[in-house]
Amino acid sequence: MNTTAVDKKVRSRRSLSRNDRFTLSAFVGFPTFVQLIFLWIPALATILLSFTYWNGIRISDIKWAGFANYKNIFLNDTLFYEALKNNLIWLLWFSFLATPLGILLAYQIDRKIKGHKIYESIYYIPVVLSLAVIGIIWNFMFQPGGFIQGLMGRDIGNAVSIWGNYKINTYVIMAVASWRHIGYIMLLYLSGLKSVDPSLKEASAIDGATEWQTFRKVILPAMKPVNIIIVVITLIESLRAFDLVFIIYGSSTSWPLLNILVYQNFAGQGISMKGAALAVILLVLCIGPIIGYLRTVFKEDS
Amino acid sequence: MATEKNGAGVSRRTVLKGAALGGAGLVGGGALLSSCGKKKVTGDVHWATRGGGETGDAIAKSVNDAYTAKSGNKVIAQQVNSDDFQNNFVQIMQGTPDDAFGWMAGWRTNARADAGLLADVSDQIKALGSSLSAAAIQGATNPADGKQYIIPTTYYPWGLHYRKSMVADIGMDPENIATWDDFIKMCTLTQKKGLVGFALGDKGGWEAMGTFDIINARLNGYQFHIELLNGKQSWTDPKVVEVFKHMEQLIPFMNKNILDISWDGMRDLLLQKKCGAMLMGSWFANDFKAKSQADYDDLWIVPFPEINPEFGVDTIDAPLDGVSVAANGANVEGGKDLAQFWGSKEGIDAAIAGGDTSIYISSDFDTSTYDAFNKQKLAVLGAAKNIMFFLDRDTRGDFAGPVVGVAIQNFLKNPKDLNKILENTQAQWDALPKL
Repeated sequence: MNTTAVDKKVRSRRSLSRNDRFTLSAFVGFPTFVQLIFLWIPALATILLSFTYWNGIRISDIKWAGFANYKNIFLNDTLFYEALKNNLIWLLWFSFLATPLGILLAYQIDRKIKGHKIYESIYYIPVVLSLAVIGIIWNFMFQPGGFIQGLMGRDIGNAVSIWGNYKINTYVIMAVASWRHIGYIMLLYLSGLKSVDPSLKEASAIDGATEWQTFRKVILPAMKPVNIIIVVITLIESLRAFDLVFIIYGSSTSWPLLNILVYQNFAGQGISMKGAALAVILLVLCIGPIIGYLRTVFKEDS
Repeated sequence: MATEKNGAGVSRRTVLKGAALGGAGLVGGGALLSSCGKKKVTGDVHWATRGGGETGDAIAKSVNDAYTAKSGNKVIAQQVNSDDFQNNFVQIMQGTPDDAFGWMAGWRTNARADAGLLADVSDQIKALGSSLSAAAIQGATNPADGKQYIIPTTYYPWGLHYRKSMVADIGMDPENIATWDDFIKMCTLTQKKGLVGFALGDKGGWEAMGTFDIINARLNGYQFHIELLNGKQSWTDPKVVEVFKHMEQLIPFMNKNILDISWDGMRDLLLQKKCGAMLMGSWFANDFKAKSQADYDDLWIVPFPEINPEFGVDTIDAPLDGVSVAANGANVEGGKDLAQFWGSKEGIDAAIAGGDTSIYISSDFDTSTYDAFNKQKLAVLGAAKNIMFFLDRDTRGDFAGPVVGVAIQNFLKNPKDLNKILENTQAQWDALPKL
């Protein structure tokens, strides 16, 4: 068989039968079509609408607004900055506490410390729950009249203020969100660690490296693809946070996040294109990590 | 009820499914439009019950069955989740909506009527004649074109609720909490007993709007309040500052977890005798009755106390509910006919037979069998000359929740930021697109 590179290319292109071509175009075409209809067109429409005034009813009512919606958000909307702050806290907390903790747990479990199976299951359990369910569980625990308040012997009137206490509620929400995120990261990292060749570890141990040196200089570099995915997941999870907080606070913006503001201005009763502008701002914030993620994925493929 | 939660309900998907079924009758509907006049309306009519669980379904069935018996038109009813229906109203009305449904007067009707989503029911209101008072019709009228898009049926008062026994306990007369000083004294004495003086929950972001409404109306009058909500007065006006100063006076008497509890938390506080008083709509009274007759008999409502003698207690928040007809429904004439029936004496009688305890506006409504609390509700409503519909129905939707609701929450968090909050509120009003 002729095996030069050029020939191979030509051959593989020619060897597509009509059937193959049909299958291929169906496999590429259908998802593209679905993406176009449900993602790209709405996304582009949202971007365009963010420069208009509209109440979502009659197309003829759309009025050009220029940058007015953005100006309103940046100049007048104190909630926007509060939401940005909360999203940022979420990001920092996940990046510097929850994610490293997940990695640490994964590393310990991978070393098969005593009882690692039990730990693994304990940390894994929250991962099977959606954040909405986690919201329901912890809201039930902490709300006035809830389980933990009951244990402390507090009734509704003198219940310890948790969700409404602005000194602590951020940290409580972070802790609850981490409850799941730590397990999630642990799981991802654990599967990565399992694929690291054990002989690498042995070699570094023979060379006299400490545990920490082995982790930092050998394991971490070997795990680069997983690391990047974890960084991107942490970024995106922090920016798109919504369900947990929505379950606890409802559509009110007592503890705002960018996504909650989008919902309040876009999907609620007072539809305005301020919501579209907020969605575009969120998109711009998300796009960096998404590009990073895609580049890594494609690099792996090539 | 503005933002009242309903436990039971049907998902939006079911709504759409039901609406799609309704669309099947579309062809027949068009023909009916041309047959106006006194001709008999025919065809199936689709009805949506807005929340209310089993009671809501029972009431709707009772009224709709009576309508079918009278007109021969079949009514296909479904219950929708009240919050979902409200939030997705614009989308539902642009699809294939049910012909008639329970709805709320005020901005939520008028703005949607202006957008062509609701059908004109002025003729039906005319047909109901003198059973509706001029004030009720006025409340249901869209200022933009002077027509009505909702047939007003029921309303409920927002008033000061307390337990008679507890007020007597602190040595005050439960029938006579009439002025701000009485009110402050009542709060002080209750607090001395180790209880919450004045309960407030604002986790939902709308509950405390009622407190703002009523203090503004008491201090500055109905006219000022409505003008403020429609951009004709400024939020930075010292008169508005004064309203918040009065709210601030009440904060020391309140529970310390305002932003942790919602309206049901306030209800529970009063139910469990943990607070002296609270300001809320009377819809929760059935829960007192469910606990025990003694608790229900103990419950009382009075108008929010007078602050400024110039205005006395001449204004009340009494959101007006009614029945509207979708402009895009399959059977618009049928919807109008059914809506009119809901507002008629036969309709009201059927609703009461179905278990409805609401107060009907119609003069055909028989109040002779009313218990003491319901009679008092009527008296509280009767004491007022001006009726507000609650802040989130008296002003535009992109201002009420996203701006004023947030401002009040921020104020409750940090009363010292008041000036900044009010300046910001005004700035956000100014940035709204013209309607």
